[in-house]
Amino acid sequence: MKQKLLSLLSLLMLASMLLAACGGGAAAPTFSGTATITFVQEPDNLNPLYSSMWFSQITREFWLKGAWSFDANSQPYPELVTEIPSTSNGGISADGKTLTLKLRPDVTWSDGEAMTADDFVFTYDMVMSEKNIVNGRYPYEDFVSSVEAKDPQTVVVNFTEPFAPWLTSIFNFVLPKHVLQPVFDSEGTLDNAAWNRAPSVGVGPFVFQEWESGSHIIFKANPNWIRPPKLEQVFIRMTPDDAAQEAAIIAGDTHIGVFLSSDQIDRLEAGGDVKVVATPGGYNESWFLNVNPATAHPAMLDVNVRKAIALATDRFSIVKDLLKPDINPVNATFWDNTPGYATDSLEPYPYDPEQAKQLLDEAGWVDSNGDGTRDKDGVELILRYATTTRELRKNVQAVVQQQWAQVGIGTELINHSSDIFWNNYNDGGPQALGEYDISEYSQSPDGPPDPEASQNWLCSEIASADNPDGANWQGVCDDELDALFKQQATIADPAARLAVYRQIQQKMYDEVLYIGMWKDPDLWSINSKLQGVNLSGPTPFWNAYEWEVSE
Amino acid sequence: MTNYIIRRLAQAIPQLFIISIILFTLMQAFGDPVATLGARNPPRPEEKERLRRQLGLDQPVYMQYITWLVGNDWQKIDMDGDGVPETPGQRKGILRGDWGNSLVARRPVLEMIGERLPNTLILMITAEIVIIILSLMIGLVSALRPYSLFDNIVTGLSFIGYSMPVFWLALMLMYIFAVNFRRWGLPYLPTVGMFDPAVGKTPAEIIKHMILPLTTLAVISTAGYSRFVRSSVLEVLGQDYVRTARAKGLKAMYVVFRHALPNAALPFITLIGLDIPFLLAGAVVTERIFAWPGMGRLFLDHTERADFPMLMGILMLISIAVVIFQIITDVVYSFVDPRIRLE
Repeated sequence: MKQKLLSLLSLLMLASMLLAACGGGAAAPTFSGTATITFVQEPDNLNPLYSSMWFSQITREFWLKGAWSFDANSQPYPELVTEIPSTSNGGISADGKTLTLKLRPDVTWSDGEAMTADDFVFTYDMVMSEKNIVNGRYPYEDFVSSVEAKDPQTVVVNFTEPFAPWLTSIFNFVLPKHVLQPVFDSEGTLDNAAWNRAPSVGVGPFVFQEWESGSHIIFKANPNWIRPPKLEQVFIRMTPDDAAQEAAIIAGDTHIGVFLSSDQIDRLEAGGDVKVVATPGGYNESWFLNVNPATAHPAMLDVNVRKAIALATDRFSIVKDLLKPDINPVNATFWDNTPGYATDSLEPYPYDPEQAKQLLDEAGWVDSNGDGTRDKDGVELILRYATTTRELRKNVQAVVQQQWAQVGIGTELINHSSDIFWNNYNDGGPQALGEYDISEYSQSPDGPPDPEASQNWLCSEIASADNPDGANWQGVCDDELDALFKQQATIADPAARLAVYRQIQQKMYDEVLYIGMWKDPDLWSINSKLQGVNLSGPTPFWNAYEWEVSE
Repeated sequence: MTNYIIRRLAQAIPQLFIISIILFTLMQAFGDPVATLGARNPPRPEEKERLRRQLGLDQPVYMQYITWLVGNDWQKIDMDGDGVPETPGQRKGILRGDWGNSLVARRPVLEMIGERLPNTLILMITAEIVIIILSLMIGLVSALRPYSLFDNIVTGLSFIGYSMPVFWLALMLMYIFAVNFRRWGLPYLPTVGMFDPAVGKTPAEIIKHMILPLTTLAVISTAGYSRFVRSSVLEVLGQDYVRTARAKGLKAMYVVFRHALPNAALPFITLIGLDIPFLLAGAVVTERIFAWPGMGRLFLDHTERADFPMLMGILMLISIAVVIFQIITDVVYSFVDPRIRLE
């Protein structure tokens, strides 16, 4: 009797297990695992209108996709649109003043509502509304005259003039009209909308779940996204201390670590579970050369002297001794870390002290008084080499001082704390005032991966009492360069624009208006338990839908 | 007693008023909050001007203070920059319970403090209890057996504990118990945070994650406090009334706990009374290293962004707590020390 009962029970169990298995197979895709990421800074706000923080931007690849994202080669690919606008597919008009976006009909908000052109128009209206205290209106305020919904799947953006950087600045986020319009209507502003902090509706492989201030943000898998994810959730932990983040990475308490520095690589990779990867964020450690006749050392105005400076500096051994040559190679142009704009044809000037001496001799800078430093017309060749107080830069200064001494260039090393180094003209910024000959710091284009960096080199941007916020601290003013920079800013076709950048780079290289020190990529750690991660510079988490966690 | 408390509370009002003026003036030294709104891409000059106008930062400092204190809902403000005020003000001012909005998070200050305060209190109150118990025990034993082996060892350890920098101790504990113990296959503790996302925010997880930060706080404060207890107990033990009690033939333990300790505890109560309000402020360094989402980090994060409504909120909260706990300490005194009468 007892045995019969047991076998009956086991049969029943078997049957129910079979049934359960069949039922599960027919259901929606299953998600499993949690990816953990440490952030050293906490986003201030999740609504893109109210945050310019990089740490807020990079979360959007999980929950609020833009019209397109950038893949691991920093090439744009469509997310909300069917194709990237170009002149050949008619997305960019012949005069370059109209951009047409064709929306994917199958994209819905995470709550199932259809995404339409009205959402794009609403987003533009919210950016421009005086009722919203938004962080920035670039580029809509100055460059866009209107945004129209031609039909539910077609968005037309009209520019006041052809606008080159559209790929990185137009509709890299869209707001859900059906959620936010009622809030705007009832409160008169989006400033205090609950969605800013808890954006329960989004468009991406994950959907916002929870944000506990100071602690964490959780995103859950979104089955409604066109490319359903494999993970069940993404957990972002705020870990403000660099050393503590390092401990968490080594202990395996986080899968992805951010904002790392080159000196951490060996320690992080020692255990074998962690790999450090670099993504191009546009930054290069750079030497900006003062060529303003009013403030610079007279020798700086001579292109041969500037070339001699480059040849007299062994940047290759500096990188080898102080950094990681494979992560931080010496760069030749300002755009070497901006994908698509790096020039393989231009090589950094080599280390050649003999040629440097020769060039200086020819330029008339010789050591006539035998004090070991070259001079000309009674002026000693002693250059002011200014930078911040960062330890690494101080070490570089010391090495360069010795290298230059070998070719007879004297140095005055200057270090400023970073709160005054970048001040504007009226606040006594040493660079804005031209109190240097060489200035070293890490700089990127305005909005990488877009190459736009005109403000550093245009005549009209030279800092002065009349133009205190001018960003051209080097006093560069060259008619040909000026024209090229102005030209590229109005070419909406990326390929045509690149051709102009090639000319700009060649000219700056020949005239030695810029000396690169090393590429300064963003460094990330990835734990081997998290697979499928393929970070990109502009939108690092673009392929989060492919991530998988193994135990 | 009631009269005394009412009088003290009435005195606190001008006191807090003066504190708020001083703090608000000092806030101006933190820099320009608008300059940091852009993070990697600083806003252009026109954008900065617009933000200053819309956030009311273009107003003179005294006007900003008045808005912070009593609000601006009786006047109109110029949002669109045409020089004509058109939008009614929304602020009610701290006197009417509106602590303002954070400039960077764009959320009510009080709400944000409310989210962090419980986390800080869990950590800090537990730490304070551990510190008080440990320092009383260590201090008492040291005082009862001065210059014994135990006392010498504890004295040595106290000086080591007291002189250790918090960040160093915190990182050392983390590397030993969370990183290396794990590597060596021993039972280990977590590095950062309040809980493991795979498990969820359960009480067990919070306790597990609290051990290291708690130890850090306890080691450093116990060291100082136990010295304090030791010296005040030693002093009391030398008093005539203790000798009299012993001469009467009372048991040693009775003398210590009934006669010596209550007298020795008075200065200790003052110390704790001064300390408690600052528990609200959290432990800046410990919270930062262990990624504990408390008040200390809230203050630090918003200091970096010159977010003065948030900083004013936190500092005023602490000021109010200091004033209140001063009154409570004085009241407690009158219970513990029969010589004191509050009238």
